[in-house]
Amino acid sequence: MPDVDVLVVGGGPAGSVAAAEARRAAPELSVVLVERDRAIGAPVRCAEGVGDAGLREFADPTGSSWVARKITKVIFWAPDGTEVKVAEREVGWVLDRTRFDAFLAAEAVGEGAEVRVGTEVTGMRREGDRWVVETRGARGSETLRARVVIGADGVETMVGRWAGLDTRVPSRDMESCAQYVVQGIDFDPDAIYLQFGDQVAPGGYAWVFPRGVGVANVGLGIVALKADGRSARGYLDAWIAARYPDGAKTGYTVGGVIVHTTVKRTFADGTLIAGDAAHMVNPLSGGGIVNAMKAGRLAGRTAAAAIRENDTGADRLSRYHDDWMQLLGDDHLKYYRIKQALEDLDDGFFNGLARTVNAIPTAKRTLGRIFAHALVKHPQLIPVAARFFF
Amino acid sequence: MRAVRPTEIAVVDLSLCDRCGLCLPLCPPEAIHLALSDLLVDQGTCTGCEKCIAPCPVGALSMVPNRAAA
Repeated sequence: MPDVDVLVVGGGPAGSVAAAEARRAAPELSVVLVERDRAIGAPVRCAEGVGDAGLREFADPTGSSWVARKITKVIFWAPDGTEVKVAEREVGWVLDRTRFDAFLAAEAVGEGAEVRVGTEVTGMRREGDRWVVETRGARGSETLRARVVIGADGVETMVGRWAGLDTRVPSRDMESCAQYVVQGIDFDPDAIYLQFGDQVAPGGYAWVFPRGVGVANVGLGIVALKADGRSARGYLDAWIAARYPDGAKTGYTVGGVIVHTTVKRTFADGTLIAGDAAHMVNPLSGGGIVNAMKAGRLAGRTAAAAIRENDTGADRLSRYHDDWMQLLGDDHLKYYRIKQALEDLDDGFFNGLARTVNAIPTAKRTLGRIFAHALVKHPQLIPVAARFFF
Repeated sequence: MRAVRPTEIAVVDLSLCDRCGLCLPLCPPEAIHLALSDLLVDQGTCTGCEKCIAPCPVGALSMVPNRAAA
């Protein structure tokens, strides 16, 4: 039975960064990454937007092949259609995830990790201080023995389950998302658009993320508990029919975004889980790419150090959890409380807020000034603010 | 074995299912699996709670009478 030091399950941003970092930290280790799908980066289940600063911690987007569009504006649409433009600056990027994920996997290979596509893990069991992992794929079935398994296997994580971790989520914290690539539509290709409103996207928001001039990822997320019985795709079809009736839908994707807080335990004996698998998405924005990479980096380093110390038990690996909570997990507890408070506010409130912000000259729309004006005009926000600070 | 079997359980229509995996963490008894790239609902484990039904982005899950119900 082949032995590997680190087995990474899942070739998204968390998995590829974990594989690369494990090798970078300990080049003597054997690191294997398995990806269920036949290609890294496909299918894309993502709106592909990412903040500039977070991305630059891992890769330079300037002139790269894996960027679709640079974003310099953010435009909000209130439920009644009022448009609010906020700060023009280097906001972020819309990635081409197919290329970006492949780029990250290639980085891992460059560090000496082995990547196996079209290879699914079908089960794993504990034997002494190793995991015995069954895989199945293009090369047939194979059993591997691993010292540390890093589960970067997404919202559906089976690694977490097999390791006995509780990765379940309450219905109110699951965003059901659908998205089309829509061509031949008119919008500002330097802006991302976010539309709020109970009629459009109850419990979530709709988005337009440009992939280029006239072509964008157009999608939305809803919380099914707040919906009228239609699926996410039903809501999206209705929104696009109203807003872009002449657009050509040339592709679609669906998926779940867990807008909760980090799972209670991200570690077990010989196991770490990272990214969507561990509910590491920002619960307020729904963004998860950079978070996944940050978690992957911590997981890869922790696994490498633990193997070098010859202690891959849960206690040793728990340092990963502590590091993550300090880095971002504790912030997510705050964001989650804000999300809960915002859920109590209705469309009328957001329409009023949009008009308040529009009364501030565009050039002066700093977050602090928006916040101050909003608090004065909309006392409903005070409990929201209180939840943030306490 | 449970004392009371649910009268209805969830099933997936694989012709609609996109294998996105959204329903897996929603299932309290973890009765839904992605295995060999297909979604499976374990009929013996499903409690009929319906938590997976509405959130499916493409409406691929539905409830059917449980043939094993007493």
